[in-house]
Amino acid sequence: MGNSMSGFSGLLHKLFGSREVRILMLGLDAAGKTTILYQLKLPHPVTTIPTVGFNVESVTMRNVKFNIWDVGGQDKIRPLWRHYYSGTQGLIFVVDSADRARIDEARTELHRIISDREMRDCLLLVLANKQDLDDAMKPLEITERLQLNKIKDKVWFVQPTVATRGDGLNEGFNWLSEHTKAALPAKK
Amino acid sequence: MMAATSLAARTSPNSNGNSFYANAANPGAPIPRSSLTSFPAASPRSALDMSQAPRPSRSPQPPQGNAPEADRSSNPSSKSKTASTGVSSQHSSLSAAPRRYAAGSHPPRRLRSQYPRGNTENHVEYILVASFDIDRGPVMEHQYPVAITGDEHMLAELMLPDQAHVRNQDWTIFFLHKDTSQEEETAERQAKEERRNRRRRKRDRAKGVIHESDDEDDEDGDLDEVDWDDDLSTDSEPEGGEGPPLIYVLNLVNTKQDKTVKRGAVVKAMAICTRHPFLHIYKPLLLLALEEYFKSPVPETLSMLFNAVNEMDLSLMPKLSLLERHLLQASDNKDLFVEKFEQMIQMRIAEDRGEDITDQPFDASRSPPKPPGIFRSGTKAHVEGQATYAVPRDTHEFESKVMYKGIPIPIKVPVAIMPETVGDFSLIKLIQNFSDSHAKSPQTFPLHPHLTTNGPHTHPIIVLVNALLTQKRVIFLGYNMPSGDVAEAVLAACALASGGVLRGFTRHAFPYTDLTKVDDLLNVPGFIAGVTNPTFEHHPEWWDLLCDLPSGKMKISSKIDPAPVTEGLVYFQQQNPSHAGLVNGAGSSNNAAANDLTGDVAFMADILRSIASRAGERVIRAKWRDWVVKFTRIAAAFEESVYGASALYIGSDEHETTTVGVGGHGYVWCDEPSKAKELAGNVTRIEGWRNTRSYYSFIQDVAQLYTIRPLKGLDLHHMHDRLRTQRLSPMQSREVYLAFSKYVHSYDEICLLLSVAPESHAGLFYIALGLFHRDKDVRSKTADLLERIGEHEAGQHWWRALSRFERLAYIRIKREADLENANKVKETTAIYGGLDKRIS
Repeated sequence: MGNSMSGFSGLLHKLFGSREVRILMLGLDAAGKTTILYQLKLPHPVTTIPTVGFNVESVTMRNVKFNIWDVGGQDKIRPLWRHYYSGTQGLIFVVDSADRARIDEARTELHRIISDREMRDCLLLVLANKQDLDDAMKPLEITERLQLNKIKDKVWFVQPTVATRGDGLNEGFNWLSEHTKAALPAKK
Repeated sequence: MMAATSLAARTSPNSNGNSFYANAANPGAPIPRSSLTSFPAASPRSALDMSQAPRPSRSPQPPQGNAPEADRSSNPSSKSKTASTGVSSQHSSLSAAPRRYAAGSHPPRRLRSQYPRGNTENHVEYILVASFDIDRGPVMEHQYPVAITGDEHMLAELMLPDQAHVRNQDWTIFFLHKDTSQEEETAERQAKEERRNRRRRKRDRAKGVIHESDDEDDEDGDLDEVDWDDDLSTDSEPEGGEGPPLIYVLNLVNTKQDKTVKRGAVVKAMAICTRHPFLHIYKPLLLLALEEYFKSPVPETLSMLFNAVNEMDLSLMPKLSLLERHLLQASDNKDLFVEKFEQMIQMRIAEDRGEDITDQPFDASRSPPKPPGIFRSGTKAHVEGQATYAVPRDTHEFESKVMYKGIPIPIKVPVAIMPETVGDFSLIKLIQNFSDSHAKSPQTFPLHPHLTTNGPHTHPIIVLVNALLTQKRVIFLGYNMPSGDVAEAVLAACALASGGVLRGFTRHAFPYTDLTKVDDLLNVPGFIAGVTNPTFEHHPEWWDLLCDLPSGKMKISSKIDPAPVTEGLVYFQQQNPSHAGLVNGAGSSNNAAANDLTGDVAFMADILRSIASRAGERVIRAKWRDWVVKFTRIAAAFEESVYGASALYIGSDEHETTTVGVGGHGYVWCDEPSKAKELAGNVTRIEGWRNTRSYYSFIQDVAQLYTIRPLKGLDLHHMHDRLRTQRLSPMQSREVYLAFSKYVHSYDEICLLLSVAPESHAGLFYIALGLFHRDKDVRSKTADLLERIGEHEAGQHWWRALSRFERLAYIRIKREADLENANKVKETTAIYGGLDKRIS
């Protein structure tokens, strides 16, 4: 249920050493964001339909409570992404690795997001999704096409995934929890 | 004026002058009042021609003797039989003997329909269909009969609420503001001005004529009447106030999983755009039509719905005056004003027969026996299909139907709608939502003088109503809730703060909105918005009060503007040094909490008790109405005492001759200390209310209502409250009772008196106490007054609620008076030869 943590349970989390991290998951439409979200949340894969607006779920992994916001990706609703920036500690950018036609569009969107002032302190995890498809670009190619090497002021990481099977998701979130450890426990 | 930027500028260049924009205030634009026409703008002749009401009687007229009431009053047993309201009369057909009425018993106006036959105004103006395109997001698919100009994409976004994909069905409500073109406005204003002038001329003439000769008056009476009537219907009922009427949009969205389509689902929404505030009646139709649209996604599906809903016949629903609507709203009586429905039907039957009835003034006592066609809806005769026309089972709702694809869909339309009442919502639900969790674990609010009028533990509902009164930005958040539920809470909150008295809330309400509109939202000062996206909670700079529906908790924003120290506050503290310390926000807020200076703790306890004892929605609304009325009256008293004058109450010099005891106005306290205390408790929120939209529109309404109000010089509410709350000496109460009996005669005057003595507040009890007054003349005058009330169309129901004890007293007094009169008559007949002095 995300962010409506009361002060008391927030305190509990502090006592037991668990932390809350707000994650924002963005990407072009049909990249697989919602599938990833529910792959993490539920024990079985789900069939997803286009997201109208957003989904938000909290998932606890390795003592870190991730509040993950998954926001719809159609181009007309992308301007709304910025309203989700404030308070975000980690950005997950999901790419359809087989969608070569739109990889440049994805790059533009990604760089627009991370250039926002409110996103300056957050981690960047790129999930190179749909690795099971024949034509999928490998992480190295994704890194190049997204021009991640141009990013100077941010910690970033590219993780290949197959969301429908859950492959690579644990690795990605391990990276996230490692790198958020340095940060202070999330405030309510 | 407020400094809100208009959304119109953003959505489209208004070159065609007919664009729409979603609910955002446009207070800066100079919109002439004349554009605020209510539905039947140009009075259709058909409705007027068939009208047969008597000519208006403008001066108070004495009741015409005791004759019509004689059998009633002299025979209490038979009376109580017919009087047993409710059950028996509801289920019997209404072909009882026609009632007979005295002068003040019927309204002096023609009865009109709220939605006359032949009215060109459609019930529904547009039907829209939008869908969620998997590549592009929300898109508009069809609009019927024509496209709404303006930002079509914005409309499509509103029609597809956040998270529509996680539920199969969702309802939303949103409002559109229509910009009327300059030319239209000017033309309309001129036409209205012209009508008004003509009316004024006629009225002046009529006034003169009445004094000189009755014959002449009769000649042009008819014309005059039409105008006078028009006058009443347009001037008496302030609507809107800040611009043209809103267009209300009811929207249904369905998500259908479909394996055969790309990405597995189809999301479509259909919306009905109407100016009727009772937009919820269209729900069953939207359900059917959207289902149909999934099968055949063509414009014809829209046109079929459009035609069906616009063929709905509401022409037999009578139009009520503002006072009548107040009475109907506050009463649970299912028979109140049933006469008006009967009369509408009689007029229709006569019209259908082609009779010319215009020259024959309506008089119930002379009207032909009711044709066998009229039955109470739901009665045996009605069900068996013998009835052509039916009077509703409950006069609060007008029953009609819409034929959709050959299926009759029953529709119930509320008869009396107060300002700021849109859709169907439940105050009870809203109050319970925020009271239950408060009862379990009381919330501690950070102090804000405008909001926490009872200290840190102020009841959340009071915090909410304070926030609305002082024009704070209020958000209702319902994460994981259908957006329809959120919209309902917003609409309920508007009605809560309005009480049907104050305005300016719905116009700035966004029953459902989302992040796409947030920039526009933030341009509106003091909005009330419903959202389902918890992101709003992360932005305390966007709101002042956040009401979280699932948890029932409210949050005052950490970024809320502090309340300024105002002159009124300083003056009050200077004037009342002994109470200065009690003022909320003066550092001793615990005082306010402990002493319940505002009375809100007791009020909320009463409300919750009423809800727990299963009091209906109508009762709770009536109580809130009382609260709001009380607030405005306390504010008036505050302004008078602090600033020396107040525009919140208008008295008059018309009755400048009024004697001491009858004069006086405003809220009544039992003594001065309690007044000072209550003012001290209210100072901060009154000061916060001044300079808000609802404050200014209330001043406008007070001024406007004053021009049409009966008994301008008297504050009946004040007088009745004195009887209720103060311990009056026999001399003081004598003055009040005599004034009531002296001034309250006409239909509207009696309505006004009834409205200050609602059934829920002991009804006529305090007035009937006059039957037991020390002085004989007070007793007999009160009996006369009660007699007039008993003959009154609405008053008869109040009369029936009198106790047996009071009725017996009434009968005794009447009998004594008759006896005396008879003796007098005997004497005078002997002397003057038959001059009846009874009517004096």
